[in-house]
Formats: sequence, structure tokens, C-alpha cells
Amino acid sequence: MNIVGEVVVLLVNALQTGAIYVLLAIGLSIILGTLKFVNFAHGALYVIGAYLGLVITQQISISNGLLADWGYPTLGLEWGFVAALIIVPFLVFIVGLAMERFVARPFYDRPDTDQILVTFGIAIVIQELIHATIGPRSYKYEIPNELFGTIPFSGPVGVPFSTVTMDVWRVWVIAITAVLVIGVYAIVEYTDFGLVVKAGTRDPEMVQLLGIRITRPYLVMFGIGAGLAGVAGVVGAPLSNINPEIGMTILVPAFLTVVIGGVGSIRGAVLGGSLIGFVQVTLISLGSVSLGGISFNFTPWAQVGIYVLAVVVLLTRPEGLLGSEEVGA
Amino acid sequence: MSAILETDDLVKEFGGLTATDHVNLTINEGELLSLIGPNGAGKSTLINLITRMLEETEGDIRFEGESITSLTPHEVVQRGIGKSFQTASIFPELSVKENADIAAFAAEHGSFKFNFLTHRDSYPEVEQRTLDTLEAVGLRDQKDIDAGELPYGDKRRLEIGIALASEPSLLLMDEPTAGMSPEETEATVDLIEELQEEMNLTILLVEHDMEIVFSVSDRISVLNRGSIIAEGTPDEVQGDPAVQEAYLGGVEL
Amino acid sequence: MSDEVGTPEAEAEPETIDESPSLYERWQAIQGDEKTVAAITILGVALAPFLLVTLPEMLGFPRSYSWYHSLVTLTLIWGIFALGYDLILGFTGLLSFGHAMFWGVAAYSAGIFSANVTGSPIAMVLVGTLMAVLLAWLIGWISLRRGGIYFAILTLAFGQMIYYIFLSPLGNITGGENGFNGVEVGKLLGMVELGGAVPFVPPMFVDSWMYVFVGAAMVAAVVVGYRILNSPYGIVLRAIRENEQRAEFVGLDVWRYKLMSFILSGAFAGVAGSLYVIQRSYVPIENTLYWTVSGDIVVITVLGGVGSLFGPVFGAGLYMYVANIVSGIPVIGDFWHMILGIVFIGIIVLMPNGIWGRVDWVRDRVADALGGDN
Repeated sequence: MNIVGEVVVLLVNALQTGAIYVLLAIGLSIILGTLKFVNFAHGALYVIGAYLGLVITQQISISNGLLADWGYPTLGLEWGFVAALIIVPFLVFIVGLAMERFVARPFYDRPDTDQILVTFGIAIVIQELIHATIGPRSYKYEIPNELFGTIPFSGPVGVPFSTVTMDVWRVWVIAITAVLVIGVYAIVEYTDFGLVVKAGTRDPEMVQLLGIRITRPYLVMFGIGAGLAGVAGVVGAPLSNINPEIGMTILVPAFLTVVIGGVGSIRGAVLGGSLIGFVQVTLISLGSVSLGGISFNFTPWAQVGIYVLAVVVLLTRPEGLLGSEEVGA
Repeated sequence: MSAILETDDLVKEFGGLTATDHVNLTINEGELLSLIGPNGAGKSTLINLITRMLEETEGDIRFEGESITSLTPHEVVQRGIGKSFQTASIFPELSVKENADIAAFAAEHGSFKFNFLTHRDSYPEVEQRTLDTLEAVGLRDQKDIDAGELPYGDKRRLEIGIALASEPSLLLMDEPTAGMSPEETEATVDLIEELQEEMNLTILLVEHDMEIVFSVSDRISVLNRGSIIAEGTPDEVQGDPAVQEAYLGGVEL
Repeated sequence: MSDEVGTPEAEAEPETIDESPSLYERWQAIQGDEKTVAAITILGVALAPFLLVTLPEMLGFPRSYSWYHSLVTLTLIWGIFALGYDLILGFTGLLSFGHAMFWGVAAYSAGIFSANVTGSPIAMVLVGTLMAVLLAWLIGWISLRRGGIYFAILTLAFGQMIYYIFLSPLGNITGGENGFNGVEVGKLLGMVELGGAVPFVPPMFVDSWMYVFVGAAMVAAVVVGYRILNSPYGIVLRAIRENEQRAEFVGLDVWRYKLMSFILSGAFAGVAGSLYVIQRSYVPIENTLYWTVSGDIVVITVLGGVGSLFGPVFGAGLYMYVANIVSGIPVIGDFWHMILGIVFIGIIVLMPNGIWGRVDWVRDRVADALGGDN
């Protein structure tokens, strides 16, 4: 049935859109909940992931940047998408380690506002670095349809739009995200490492008094969060343009996801991201709706919708839908 | 003597823990009541309930006859209950005088005013109150120093001064001598006694130093595991077996 | 340090009476202080075009590195914005990442008002500021419910929300991504063309009435700002910043003061945004409501010196110069934003007490303003 087909496509799109936010939100949420660190540079990790993915996957021509001036009109390894998917998370993980060590750690005892300001500064610097070296141009990823293809849904005769197609690619994004989320959840819940992190959330002093060095787990946790953001960059970027500014623009929905889902909660991040994805996609898909002569166009409100959702949640349930101080809950 | 503060079957539960268990506390006007008890007895919780930093689970609190459970912390202060904190809770980057000014403004102007276009110097009554307060705690001469640069003992005095500036009818003092040297402690005790006599202040004192407690208190209430186990004059409390048991291995009486 | 209260009483009493200055003396002191600040500001504003534009030209300074008149005007406009922003960031300790919405909504309101009602510049500023104040009231009321980082995130979210609302759903009125084109700025007080030259004043000092208008607004902003800082709000806001709990326990309604501070900063942003539209005669959505504007004002205020009176104005000047002039320099020019970002980070890292480092803003800024300039 066509309706079913359309609903399925809508759900897939919603989950896939949400998946990007989930990947970003998990890292952000854990860093905020456990390390009590506000990372406004999380979007920068996303944009680094996007560009690294771009450069590993294909070849791009660059202009207007330092690299172009130094005689590199093109840049890229052309190793393909799968290679990017494997390599980028590791690279961004390392960037995350550096960020924890050199930015976060000196600021753990500083007030929240200072953390926000310094990470905001870093985000700007990274954005400008990309802008200056590679250039301000927008790039488009080629969605590897040859690799993944599309699925057509057929509907009954007589109904307009008898087939609806769905990108298998989107399903892959959902699958990859699910695997990663389950993986992180498992690490946090079932390993000693995760135990230390959870204990550290509750009582960092106690953990240190027990002789456990809290710095190592924090470092790794930050790195994992960063790696996830990198994956988000690689899988999320194909659906929109890639330019230096996407780091900052994705930051708001990422934070809203954390806020809606609840700080420090992995399940909350999943719920929050899915909700936001759902709201956005639904509003876009609804398009123009007519009820008894009055027509209202929902599409332009797609972006606004998520903010309304966030405000409603914040005002009614300030700790988030699944919020608690415990990581993993 | 009439009661200035009464709690009525006051209960506070945190999840499964009952921090305050049907407490009926009465503080009489003009007296110095000490609240003692082993660590974790619920003294801080009780204080926080009175100042409205915490919402009670059940029960009522009446100040000067009227229930205050619906008030916000700043409203409670405006009604006449002052609190002096356990740590030297001052405004470190403002000068000593400015610290007292803020309390004086709040006392003279109430909790909020739109006076953002009126110069501070056009309020002589506030100025007077500030200087009187600093005088009362002996910090007049240091009024232009940054509060953060004061020695710890002076910070505590400033702290008490800030609490006093609003001329409260009831002053809650949460471990005022914590972390003080013997001289500073003595000076603070003298100050407390003087305040009580000269300003006719009612004081609820939370203290661990039993010497102080027994020398300055008119009455003592003993709290253990959220409920009052003994109440009375220092002599009565000292001899109470329940009190001695509660302090097993604790402070000597 | 006197330990006893009773002893110095005999000496204290006459001292108390003598020390407290008479009402007249106090009035004189206030007048003097505020008059000085006003005078310095007027002087600075009056001489800025000459010192920044004309003098370098006369001395043969290369044109491409030079200030130009409209840039000086723009600096003053951003200076007003920054002054108000410092009120919440520097003095109250609240970090708002959405302040572009007040600047932008004021800009659109003023612009649309001019197209449909009247182009009187003063009316435009009033309308713009009013809209900004109302919005600040609403947004502040919602956002201040939670503190710290939630406030930053909420203001960021609201700022973006308003951007998207003005971009698309309200696109028919606002012109969407093309901005609003119908701005019609009329004569000031019905008499004076803002773009026209000022009679009896040689253009080397002031090139148009527009500068006079903006300059007057700047002076007013500084005077009002200074008065706010000298009012009870000056210490109340700083007390809230340093020890919010204690401020509450002194009997102050901390929430209402925070809200007032937010609204006041919104008012300054509103005035600035309205002036921006008057100067540009056009409302571009990117330079009014996009988050980059919110980011810019944070950077400007921090660069200039948080918690000072004139600091943010200098920050605006620095930023405007670098963004518009240094950016044009070959090679280094492309990195201007990044370099500013690095300096920004440096400032935050190096202030040991965070960015609330204490600045003796009255003495130092006055001295700076007399010696150096914008």
C-alpha cells in the first residue's frame, strides 16, 4: 500500500536524520554528564570528520585557499567510502584525545562559561583554518548509490505516485549508528573502564582516592565521543553540503538533542535524536496541508519545530526526558 | 517568651532517606538556641528548610505566627530571617564596603527595585546602614579593601555582618567558628553574645564546639537521625542519657 | 583589625558624622565624575573621524590600510551593542549566545516600520528598541529559568529559531534570504537629511549628519551605561555574578535582577540594530540574525575587555578594523578571523580568575581614552 510505503520512507528518513544527531549527542552528552565539560567545539569534530571523509573518499578540486596557492589544485585519496568510514573515526578520535588533553583538562575547574567560550574560540579557529587552507567552497559528497542502491516501493494501481523509492544508504546509516550506539552502551555498562567512568561521574574524588587514575578513562571517553562525531561527519555530510560552517550549524541541534534527551544519558540521546529527526522530517514531508479551506504550509517551519520541541521539554521536564546524572542510564 | 519560629511536624525525604523526621522545633524570641547533633543528623537540612532552600515533604514552618512555606529564599530574608553561612560566603571581588552596601540596599529597598538610573550615592540611609554594620563587626577601617583579600577570620566577620545588615529578627548561624583559630573563635563568640544583648537578636546556632554551645546557649535542641531526641537548658541536655548515646565516640560533652 | 565592638565607639561616633559627606558635596562628586565621562566620550566621538580618517590621509598613510568614515560610524554602532552586552556578560556573568536576535529583530522592525509608517529616524530607533526590549523580556523570562550552560544553549537555540522564522515562514514580510529592501529613512526631525553634510563643520571632522546622529546615540549609551553601573544595579549585578546564592540570601530577588539586566542589554542591542538599518538602508538577514553576529559580539566584548565601560567599544573598533581592513591585506588578510579567534582564546586562557579579572574601569579607561583613542 502506498501509504505504508510513504510512512516507511518517512520513518527511515526520520531515523536517519536523527541518527546523525544521536551520534553527535552521545559524545556531547557523556562529555557533559561525566566530565562536566561543555564542549562548543563538538561541531568542529563533525566538520573535521566530514572533510577527512571527503578527502579520503574522492578527489576534490580546491581553490581560494592556502593549499591551492601552494600548488595543490586537487586534493584527495580516492580510496572510496568504506575506507573513509573506517579511517576517519580513528583520526577524529586522536583529535579528540588532543582536545581533551590540551583544551578540556586545563578547564575542568574553570566556570562553565569559560569552558563555553574557549571551546567556541577553538571551533571558530578550526572553521577558519579549514576556510583558509581548503577554501570556502561547498562540496558535495557523492552518495555511493552504486554501492548501496535504492529500493522501490510499488503501490496499488490508480493511486498517483505509485512508486516510492527509498535510499538503502539511509538504512545503512541507521544500522551503523545502531551498532556504534550499542557498542558504546556496552562499553559503559559492562566494562571496568565504563565502571570507572560512571563512578567518576558520581564522585571523582572518591575514585582518585581509591588509587584509580581518572585521567585515562576521561581521555578515552572524550576520544570516543569525538570519534562518534567524526562518524557523524562522514555519514551525515552526504545529505547536505560540506563547507567550513557546518560545524557550528550542527552544534545547536546536537545540544538540543542532549537537552531533550537528558544529560549523561545514552538512551536519552537516542530518544532525543530520534524525536528531533522525526519532527524535522515530518514537518518537511507534510508540506502544504489544507483543512476546510485554510491551508498551512508546514515546510518552512521544519527548522523551527525542533526549537519549539526543545523549549517545551526544557520548561516541562528540565532534566530531559530520560535525564539523570548517571552515564548510560 | 513568645515563639518566633515554630516548625510543625516537619518532614523532609530525599528518595528513601528521611532527613527530617517530624520535627517540632520552637525558637523563643530573644533566646539563643543551639542545634547540635552528630554528623548527618540533619542539622543542615533543617536550616535549609527554614531558609526555603529546600522544599519540605510535609509539615509547616511559622515565623512570627505566619507560615513561610510558600516563600522564596529572598522573601524569607525580607521577612526577617537572616543566615550566616558555614563558609565565608562573601563577594570577594567587591570591596568590604560594597559587600555591606549590597546587604544594606536589600534591607532598605526590598528585594527588587527599578532604580538603575539612580546614583548609589543618593541613598544616605543605605550609607548609614552600611557604616553601622561595618562598625558592628569591627571592619570599618577596612572598608575599601577587596573582600577577597581579608584574612579568613575577617571574612567570617564580614559574612556575619552581611547577615546582620538586614536587621533580622532571627539569625541562623551555621557553624560560625568552623576553621577559626582560638583567638578568632573567642572574638566571634564575644561578638555573638554582644549581638544578642545589644540587638535583642534571636539566634539559632548550629555548632560542633561544645564549649561554645554550653557557654552561650539559653537552650539546646539535640538532633539525631532527623528527629529531636532531647531539648532543654544546657544542664538538662548534658545529663541526658539519650544525648550521650547519640554521641558515642563523638565530641565529649 | 579591631576585635572588640565596644571600645572604639567613642571615637567612632563623631567620625561617622563627619565622614559622611553632605548632600551637596555628594551631588558635586557625582556630577563631576559623570560629567568627566560624558566629556571624554563626546571628545572621543568628535575627534575619532579626524584622528582615524583624516589625519592618516594627511600624513600619507596608505589608503588601503586606512579607516573610512562609514566604518567609524559602524564601529560606534557596534560599540553601543557591545556596551549593553557587557552588562550581562561582564557584570552579571551571564553568557548569552543569541544576542543577534535583539539586534536583528530591532533592525527588521525599524526597517519595516520605515517602509510602512514613517521613516523618521528617531521613530525607527524607538520602534526597533521597543521590539528588542519586548523580545528580551520574553526570551529572558523563558531562558533564565535554568542557569549556567542551559542559558547559553537556550539563547543560542532561540537566536537560531528566530533566524529561521524570519528566513522562511515570515519570508513574505522580511524578504527572506534576500533581506528587506524597502527601508526608507526619512529626515531627522523632519528637517535634516542624514546623509547630508553638516553646516559650518568641515568634512575633515564630521562627514555627515548620520555620524552626528550615531555619535549622539553613542554618548547617550555611555552616559546611561555609566549611570547604570553607578546605580545599585552596579553592585547588585556584580554580586550576583560572584556569589549568586549569597545575593539571594541577602534578600535580593536575583531572578528579577538577572531579567532586568538581560532586558537592558537587549535595549542597547535594539538601539544599535536600529541604527545599523538606518546607516545601511537595508536589512540583510545574514548580518542581523545569523548566529555569527551573536558570536561576533561575544568576541568583541571579550577582546575589548569584559567588565569595563569603554573596553567593549575599543573591542568593536579593533574588530571592525581587522574585519574590514586587515582582511583585505594579501596573505595575512585571509587569516584575520582565525587570528582574532586565537587572541580570543588567549585572553580566556590567561585570565586566571576567568574573564572576570578585575579591571579598575573608571580610572584606567578614562586614562586610556585621554591618551590613546578608539
